[in-house]
Amino acid sequence: MTAARVRAWLLRGWVALVMGFLMLPVVVIALASFSRTSYLTVPPRGLTLRWFAAVLGDPEYVHAIVFSVVLALVATIGSLGAGVAASFALLRRRVAGGAGVAALLNAPLVFPGVVVGVALLQFYAMVHLNGTLAGLALAHMVITVPYVVRAVTASLQGIDPELEHAARVLGASGPVAFFTVTLPLIRPGVAAGALFSFIVSFDNVPVSIFLLGAGQTTLPVKIFTAIEYGVDPSIAAVSTMLIVLTGVGLAVAERWIGFHRFV
Amino acid sequence: MKPGSGWRLLAPALLLLLIAFVVPVGMMVPTSLRPYVPLVGITGGFTARHYTRLVTDSYYLEIIGRTLALGLTVTCATLVIGYPVAFFLARTRSRGRNWLTILVVFPLMLNLVVRTFGWIALLAQNGLVNQALQALGVVDGPVKLLFNFAGLLIGLTHIFLPFMVLVLIGAIQNIPRDVEDAARVLGASWGSAFLRVTLPLSAPGILSGSILVFVLTISALVTPRLLGGPTYQVMSTLIYDEFLSRLNWPAGSAQSLLLTAMVLALVYLSGRLARRAGAHA
Repeated sequence: MTAARVRAWLLRGWVALVMGFLMLPVVVIALASFSRTSYLTVPPRGLTLRWFAAVLGDPEYVHAIVFSVVLALVATIGSLGAGVAASFALLRRRVAGGAGVAALLNAPLVFPGVVVGVALLQFYAMVHLNGTLAGLALAHMVITVPYVVRAVTASLQGIDPELEHAARVLGASGPVAFFTVTLPLIRPGVAAGALFSFIVSFDNVPVSIFLLGAGQTTLPVKIFTAIEYGVDPSIAAVSTMLIVLTGVGLAVAERWIGFHRFV
Repeated sequence: MKPGSGWRLLAPALLLLLIAFVVPVGMMVPTSLRPYVPLVGITGGFTARHYTRLVTDSYYLEIIGRTLALGLTVTCATLVIGYPVAFFLARTRSRGRNWLTILVVFPLMLNLVVRTFGWIALLAQNGLVNQALQALGVVDGPVKLLFNFAGLLIGLTHIFLPFMVLVLIGAIQNIPRDVEDAARVLGASWGSAFLRVTLPLSAPGILSGSILVFVLTISALVTPRLLGGPTYQVMSTLIYDEFLSRLNWPAGSAQSLLLTAMVLALVYLSGRLARRAGAHA
């Protein structure tokens, strides 16, 4: 049995190493954001919160954060509507060529992000949608809808269609039966889809970067361009804020809906 | 139930797809065939020049080759590093399992720019990796780890490792533990039970995980741009510059369509391979 013991410990050791590798850049950024020095250094020298104050006092960063949140909310609401309806249709209605439609809905995730970005850059220039919130939200929805469809479909597959059918037999109209019976039952899938959608939109760079107008920026694009100009601790500070928010959000989602089932 | 009700429910998603994806991508085809004159812009007429240059000009061939080489090495690295982790997470019965899975998912959910930024701090001339290597006496002076193949390989491996692990977890979970036990009972050593039973049965997962990571790697823009800078180009950063700096949209469109064709060919081939494997099983 000793050989099995050794194998088990070797495996655990490897898992610990890989987890360390995965967390390494996260830890480094978090540490660097507290350094008193005006350049990036790890381990941090001294301890200060001034880089956090610098970010929150910088109107450019604040605008970028607000714009990103608004854009992600619009994209999420829009993709929830389109995505829930689509996955319901694909699973509960007879649609000729449903598999093809499902594959088509997923296509924007298969295509390289940069290709979707430049294609929309050219198209929006023609139809004068570049630099508009509506244009950006539509572009983001194209890549967030597949996430909603996948999460909602996973939930919907676990629900007996007879429940909604029973509500119809008892006199509920189609929409009433859907909203009072089915929708509450697939709430975990809708919540997971919404979370994915928000994060994917909030994080997007390859599509956003081609479509933003002058003076317009999202938070990740702002960080991206800031890094290209030169690295300083305020970038680490705003990154640390995102790390904390993501961590808390993920922990809450796991407790609330068992998020790992949807990934 | 009316037969049309399914399509009515699909209409918003399909309409969105049409105006913000199908038409814009389709329009790149005619653009890619337009002549481009520097300082003048896109002119009338048609030319296949942007495509012929992509497959004959050594500058472009080097970038295409580099992109594919990165895809291949990142895929192998994530597979080798990730398989044992996926095996552990798929087989362990410990209660910490779900939280460990969440720990793998966490970097995926974290902003890509932020993750890449961490690697800039780590891989810089005076970064932590170089400090550690020198302290350990592995190297004498700082090693160049940014703006070259090594930097991109490390960064992209980190970024795409969670995808590989998640796909492999699913595949390994689908293998009944009994078949491994049966092999052991019949006298196979752990090593040969793993090599001749578990590993072949997880082949579909290895295939789909590898295709996923390869496709994501050759499509990646943010990480190659930040770790490779404007000089160490891959296909996606080339497209980025063609559209935003050089404003040569026809050439950029041709490059975009070539990259897309490569991605779609891979996805199609993997689908066929998976079906063939399924038919034989």
